[in-house]
Amino acid sequence: MMKLFLMLLLMPNLLLAELLLEITKGSENPYRIAIIPFQGSSSSVNTIVEVLNSDLVRTGDFYVLKEEMLLSMPKTIEEINPSEWKLLNIDFIVLGEVVSEENSGLKATYEIYDVNKKTKIRSSTVFGIPGRIRQLSHYISDGVYESITGLKGISATKLLYVNEIKNNLDSDYILYIADADGANEQVLLKSTEPIISPAWSPDSKQIAYVSFETGMAKVFIQDISSGKRELVLTNNNQISSPAWSPDGKLLSLTLYQDGNAEIYILNLQNKNLTRLTKHYSIDTESRWSPKGTKILFTSGRSGSPQLYEIDLTKFNTKPSRLTFEGNYNAKGSYLPNNEGIVFVHRSNNEFQIALKYFDENFIRPLTESKMDESPSVSPNGNVIVYAITDKESGMIAGVTLSGAAFVLPATNGKVREPAWSGFLR
Amino acid sequence: MTSNNKLIISYSFIGLFIASCSSVQVTEEAVYEDSIQSIEVTSSKAESSTPIESKAVLANATVYFEFDSFNLSTRSIQALKSITNLMQDNPAIDITIAGHADERGTREYNLALGQRRAESVADYLELKGISRSRLTLKSYGEEMPMTLGSNERSWARNRRAEIN
Repeated sequence: MMKLFLMLLLMPNLLLAELLLEITKGSENPYRIAIIPFQGSSSSVNTIVEVLNSDLVRTGDFYVLKEEMLLSMPKTIEEINPSEWKLLNIDFIVLGEVVSEENSGLKATYEIYDVNKKTKIRSSTVFGIPGRIRQLSHYISDGVYESITGLKGISATKLLYVNEIKNNLDSDYILYIADADGANEQVLLKSTEPIISPAWSPDSKQIAYVSFETGMAKVFIQDISSGKRELVLTNNNQISSPAWSPDGKLLSLTLYQDGNAEIYILNLQNKNLTRLTKHYSIDTESRWSPKGTKILFTSGRSGSPQLYEIDLTKFNTKPSRLTFEGNYNAKGSYLPNNEGIVFVHRSNNEFQIALKYFDENFIRPLTESKMDESPSVSPNGNVIVYAITDKESGMIAGVTLSGAAFVLPATNGKVREPAWSGFLR
Repeated sequence: MTSNNKLIISYSFIGLFIASCSSVQVTEEAVYEDSIQSIEVTSSKAESSTPIESKAVLANATVYFEFDSFNLSTRSIQALKSITNLMQDNPAIDITIAGHADERGTREYNLALGQRRAESVADYLELKGISRSRLTLKSYGEEMPMTLGSNERSWARNRRAEIN
């Protein structure tokens, strides 16, 4: 399989620990597009085209014509000769311009031309933040993606993940926030003790995670922009596995106060706790359905970890079992359209990420390495990121439902526990 | 803070041929980004209050488990007998039981599994007359492996409960 290393490698300002992007596989029937180099005098036009390229290729749904293959470089839609692009089998052309530069406030415009219909399908303006040209580029990518596929784009979203960096005998555990392409990595929390299970609030302004800094697993909520944080509950017991309800008012948690992992729902306003599960086996890894009416969780009640669902709209209902293949199915989450679940599945002593649609009675394996874990679904439901444990390193990889794959290899440390934000634009 | 200002105007026009109806999407938006605050914490773990002389005896008390299991083996029970005796002879000694899991499987499930392993040890000690109030239980899941390495031997050493 041909590997395509992206332009990202050439980007300046990459920090040492930052994630680099590598596309390992594309989908079989992509949209074929041409991006005409943007007009404008500064280096920002190069960045825009590079980011646009990598964002669109990473979705797996696009083939972007190489710049040296362009037969002409039209400056306006009127200069486009459709038959010339038909020869190259190009479906769409993106044209753009950086209208004003950083000192006067960054502003870019772009247009999309449909070669087959011989017409302009989009005309857009994006106002940027000085110094944040990549962010502006992600907005353009998402606009292009939306116009062509009809789906919301995810280039302007963020990822959370944890990196463990060994220093002598000890480790530092760092919770990072980065752009969806792995660039623009910033520290949210650095600790000498493990951090696991990062989760986003639905408005993507707060995060929850499990930190062992007190010597025991505890759940904290942290405000991203202020750094203010607090324990969700103060007691002497272990607490873990936070997940926000879609309306942001409730947090499901795993509490161990009964001597065993049980799922509770915490009202974040009045701190009332409601017990959801009651079984002598392990119940943990709760996730809310997109409408907040059901909770998916992992339970050992059948003798091995399997996924179950509780309907919150019906009083006192028994959880229903969702997975039956194999003896390890855990850490599930719903697709945003509620058509199925993504989870960790054990097969032949290997742990892989799998998908099960509710209207199918079989599971679809999505990954093929030996120890894949912690799947997180993009807000448009099209991409799943997960952690690969490879010998003594860890990295984040992604697969799209259209069959494309990419990895964000770490240059340093064991990266894991990715969590995808909601839409930010 | 400025919020996302998105304006979408779509319009249609009818060309010379009535069948070809098309629309252009016109948008205007501003990039929005929150600031990010980094924070750093160091461990605030409470040190064990166990007297130093008895720690030496207890430090070696580790019991091991099978994959996805929290049942005590006969070998584990042998190891726990000496802990029971020590605690019965020294009423002042309180202990912490920390459960662990190997790297396979999910982190949260392993955290719960580690807790169950610690509980198994506690249940045994309680059965032998040790008061639950003398025991502190916790789990590290797969986060604190005894040995690194992705093989049966390492995994077996990491599926454990440590008593000290």
